[in-house]
Amino acid sequence: MGRFAPNLGHLLVPVCLVLVLGIMAAVRAPQTFTYVGLAGALLVAAPLILAAVAITPIAIAGRGGVDLSIGPLIGFVNVTIVVWLAENGITNPVFVFAYAIAAACVWQVLLACFIIYVRISPIIATLAGFMILQGVNLVILSRPGGFAPEWLSDWGWGTELLSPVLYILIAAFVIWFLFQRTAVFQHIRLMGADERTAYTAGVDIVKARFAAHLIAGVFAGLAALCLTGLIGSGDPTQGNTLTLQAITALVLGGTSLAGGKGGITGSVLGAIAMYLVFVVLSSFNFGAISGFMTQLFYGLMLVISLMLALLANKNRLQPA
Amino acid sequence: MTSPTNVIAGSQARLSGRLKSESGSLVLGGALLVVLFVVASLLVEGFASANNIRSILLLAAFLGLASLGQTMVATVGGLDLSIPFVIGSSNILLAYLFGTSIPAPLAILIIAAMGAGIGLLNGILSYRIQGQALILTLGVGFAVVGCAQIFTTLGSQYSGTVFSQVPAWFSNIASISGTTFGLKLPPVILIWAAIALLLIMWINRTKSGRAIYAIGGNRVAASRLQISEFRVWVATYTISGLTAAITGCLLLGFSGGGFVGVGDPYLFTTVAAVVVGGTSLLGGTGGYGATIIGVLVLQVLTSFLVGMGLNYAAQQTVFGLLILPMVALYARSPHIRYQI
Repeated sequence: MGRFAPNLGHLLVPVCLVLVLGIMAAVRAPQTFTYVGLAGALLVAAPLILAAVAITPIAIAGRGGVDLSIGPLIGFVNVTIVVWLAENGITNPVFVFAYAIAAACVWQVLLACFIIYVRISPIIATLAGFMILQGVNLVILSRPGGFAPEWLSDWGWGTELLSPVLYILIAAFVIWFLFQRTAVFQHIRLMGADERTAYTAGVDIVKARFAAHLIAGVFAGLAALCLTGLIGSGDPTQGNTLTLQAITALVLGGTSLAGGKGGITGSVLGAIAMYLVFVVLSSFNFGAISGFMTQLFYGLMLVISLMLALLANKNRLQPA
Repeated sequence: MTSPTNVIAGSQARLSGRLKSESGSLVLGGALLVVLFVVASLLVEGFASANNIRSILLLAAFLGLASLGQTMVATVGGLDLSIPFVIGSSNILLAYLFGTSIPAPLAILIIAAMGAGIGLLNGILSYRIQGQALILTLGVGFAVVGCAQIFTTLGSQYSGTVFSQVPAWFSNIASISGTTFGLKLPPVILIWAAIALLLIMWINRTKSGRAIYAIGGNRVAASRLQISEFRVWVATYTISGLTAAITGCLLLGFSGGGFVGVGDPYLFTTVAAVVVGGTSLLGGTGGYGATIIGVLVLQVLTSFLVGMGLNYAAQQTVFGLLILPMVALYARSPHIRYQI
């Protein structure tokens, strides 16, 4: 790991962003930083954080790989937990956890197969996946409803900081840092930075791409569990909005869609920044336009952070 | 998105395949269109009626104009995700301007100029980060639609919707009951056909048109031919912003009321139309002729699925399932071992 400097360089912008927004939130909405406030914030932000984490390895793996299908995938796991499992009386936590992670992994492996063997560019494969799952979710559950297993919907109280949601986030971090120590992760980064070099250097790029999608599937499954805990029911469309939000968080966190660099720390910071923007803007009385202000700020943050990353990289050798 | 060396290596391997696939995708898409139409007319009563064809063509005209810019951008290897937001913004802003004392033609010109301006901004900002163009345009789109909604909501109690009187001549252009010189055909269809013809002639017959393919195919060779990558890149995004704004204006004539969400279905459908038509998102191949076929395939399919009683959700699934085999047939990347 001799590349610590560029490894942390991409975190400069997101760290500053979170600090500034955090101070603003502390001034404007101090209730956010109470025990209950933090517990609620954690619960609400967890699905987005994990969704942004899930698409990170795929972006690092290169080929402009941004997983557009992540939102509907989380929605798919959510509605199937409610309709296929809970309604049939299957509520065993171990089984539900295993199902959520397995279902998301199977989908990611399918996507990887299309990208690797059919050789479709990732953006098209995941775009098709977005459209397919968006429809499938509505067929499984036509409108929001149903009940999540009781132990899962109990997460939605959000009054305790030391909650299962926190443990899941910690587990996600542990999984990631263990994964980062493997050779496969280094191969994914090399492949993302320059696939032809990786291939000629003897890296098993098929294995590396499958690994990137599999680890993404694990995080997507966890994201779906947190979303189900948050809303306590099934919602076929809730997940869709997560796609654009997760991509925004990913880019705010300094992971480049050009591939080869980035990490989940940035994505987590990006997701937290998005949540804080929401908190800060809600503290002003914008009335009818507050939703539009949030949208405007997300857009400006995206453009500005891309420009800052460009300036920061200007003196480093970059392929066009 | 692709480094110069990558383009050189890839283009040699792709060259023979590309010449074949360019006409191949047109034939394949055309055949699919004919088969779909025949099957639909047999299975759905009244599918081949004048009314239904008129409505298919009308909706195709909107999607076709919205996809025009996306095709140009994809030809140089980019993507423009700001299109739906520009459509929604120009839709409500035009409705807002119709409510003021500004004459209607001037209002439309203002909106068109604004769209071109947003496209210009997209192009300039994304030039140095071409691999991340889709994120940059998404960010610009968010900002634009946020601004447009704040602007129209201030001093109004309705958020996201703008009510005003749309001039009758303008509704005639884009509504289903519109007539052209007494003919029962909405003028927007003819406008689309005229624009498509001019565009295809410009792309195929002029030096500046071919420059777009030169940049998309091989940036190094293009720069040796004194073609400015910056100017071509920015020009395609400007066209995209302009056509998105025009689509947004025409959709106001279609619906009669400003609604910001009117652009939302166009986010991924424009990309789907481009891809189904046969333009590779890697750049350098395809063209607007292919996109027109893609647009018609999607609209005929939509009408067919509606006739079969499938809802919007199921249509989306079918679109998704259609994209994969179409792309697998003619837009596959070469194996990595041929890219070295």
